[in-house]
Amino acid sequence: MSENVLVVENLATTFHTKGGPVPAVGGVSFSLGPNETLGIVGESGSGKTVLSRTIMGLQPRTNVEVTGSVLLNGHQMVGVSEDEKRKHWATEVAMVFQDPMTSLNPVMRVGKQIDEVLRVRLGMPKDAAKARAIELLRLVGIPSPEERYSAYPGQLSGGMRQRVVIAIALACSPSLLMADEPTTGLDVTIQAQILNLIEQIKNDLNMSVILVTHDLGVVATRTTRLIVMYAGRIVEIGTTRDVFKDHRMPYTRALLESSPRVSNASHTRLQAIPGRPPNLLKLDQGCAFAPRCAFATQKCHEERPELEETGTPGHLFACWNPLTTKIGA
Amino acid sequence: MTKPLLQVRDLEVTFGHGKNAVSAVAGVSFDIYEGETLGVVGESGCGKSTTGKALMRIVEPTKGTVINGDQNITELSGRALRRARTQMQMIFQDPISSLNPRRRIKDIVAEPLDCWGTAKGEERDALVSDLLSKVGIDPAVYGNRYARQFSGGQCQRISIARSLAMRPKLLICDEMVSALDVSVQAQILNLLDDLKREYGLTLLFIAHDLGVVKNVSDRVAVMYLGKICEIGPSDALYAAPAHPYTKFLLGAALEADVDSDAHSEVLEGEPPSPLNPPSGCRFRTRCPMAQAKCAEEEPALQDVGTGHQVACHFPLTIGRK
Repeated sequence: MSENVLVVENLATTFHTKGGPVPAVGGVSFSLGPNETLGIVGESGSGKTVLSRTIMGLQPRTNVEVTGSVLLNGHQMVGVSEDEKRKHWATEVAMVFQDPMTSLNPVMRVGKQIDEVLRVRLGMPKDAAKARAIELLRLVGIPSPEERYSAYPGQLSGGMRQRVVIAIALACSPSLLMADEPTTGLDVTIQAQILNLIEQIKNDLNMSVILVTHDLGVVATRTTRLIVMYAGRIVEIGTTRDVFKDHRMPYTRALLESSPRVSNASHTRLQAIPGRPPNLLKLDQGCAFAPRCAFATQKCHEERPELEETGTPGHLFACWNPLTTKIGA
Repeated sequence: MTKPLLQVRDLEVTFGHGKNAVSAVAGVSFDIYEGETLGVVGESGCGKSTTGKALMRIVEPTKGTVINGDQNITELSGRALRRARTQMQMIFQDPISSLNPRRRIKDIVAEPLDCWGTAKGEERDALVSDLLSKVGIDPAVYGNRYARQFSGGQCQRISIARSLAMRPKLLICDEMVSALDVSVQAQILNLLDDLKREYGLTLLFIAHDLGVVKNVSDRVAVMYLGKICEIGPSDALYAAPAHPYTKFLLGAALEADVDSDAHSEVLEGEPPSPLNPPSGCRFRTRCPMAQAKCAEEEPALQDVGTGHQVACHFPLTIGRK
């Protein structure tokens, strides 16, 4: 791994609401190498989407406080002006959002929406932009791209729309693609197509990818490293294999064990996690998972564990009472 | 599991007329035996939800019969139909919009009892408290709160309590856990399993998540474009799918396991429009094994094992042994 594409240090996003400050992301650090796929998993409210938007610099203008640092190919993205951030959007980092219907303009032909990026960002002349847009539509696997160029989003299926969104994201060959729940809401067979497509273009164009999802199945075989988030913080980070097979944080195990698997026998009792995720307005000083954790001790309620590396290099977890047995052992 | 509780024969639901007629459910027959869980899987637009709703006559079936116990649901109307529906209840996908946000949850759960005058006064209150505690909500603390004050998982618990108020035999669950986080989903699935045993329920469990369906079902029906393409015991069907579509569907399911094979063959293309379904077998346009016969003749469900049926001219299990 040479130069890192992305270096995030102590990044925190706090929303100031009527009820008080909400630390949606509370001090997150990690880095991402070239051509690497990083997964970020967590349940709703764990801060995974706010984290990815903060990295992009897409936060609301008011009532939000962002501290820390995001270095994208060496450019600082935190605390700089909108114009400064805009210089790096599309050309260095691009994002694919969850809902392909709302991320496209419904009254603009899809081809024009791809053109727009090329003409505005790269200053391409009209004809060249159109030719390139058709080429991009073909690249993302849309049949008869010449005809689809003039289709409206409403005339395309959900899977096709998500392909168009990916084509827009790829238009200026960014070095980092952020995909926030790119396949949630799509059918499984279409999901498999889209995930294969992202993987293939990542390799073809030598990009790095951040895949944000709630679905452990999506990240299991398609990411090299994995971040598990809980209540706005990273609770475990490591290679995907280490996190799945040799996780030390009880939350990671609980998350894995509560997923119903196709390989389970009928009527398998699931290991549910008692309680629900904490209210970020009322976080106490201890570990946020302590109230739901089977291994919690007095210390867990009083003092927050920091991410620490023990044993395997690059495998960090935040826990006072880490698990010692491997899964299935 | 001796006699079927629910018998569905040639159920059809068509929306629209003439050129714009969409046949959402195009001739579906199945039985559900007492005490079992039948899972229904398929992708969006395959007609699984419409099938569930047609059984309750929330949408009117165009053709076919639905017999629940000894009642022919498709022949009933008015009060008799409403009375019959107390014996078959439905739980919907979005737990929050299923409940009136401005009503107290104890009143929501009591509504079926009030409608039918099943229980009054103290007896009614005791029944409601019992139902709420059964689904893990403390009636003394939360009973007077409004539905809007609860999270998605809790709302789904309240929906379950309401659906059990009339002691139905059959519960139709339409994507009841797909809006929930995995940790909450596991809680609800375990709760459903407990209640099923306690109340002797029979379930029709409709979902798109193959892992969830595998966990809860005794038998599974796979639907594609308004028809059942395969039905059988869940272990046998998952272990050895006989229909090419089932095989692709299972291959596309992502397992939360680093050692799983995520790069199996991926099904190309998208389901055709139900406005204009392909002739013969409906899956033939995407099926890599399709032959001339598939376009000419529609395959009927045929036996390929004990209680395992497939609608395919060239089922995958033949010659496997």
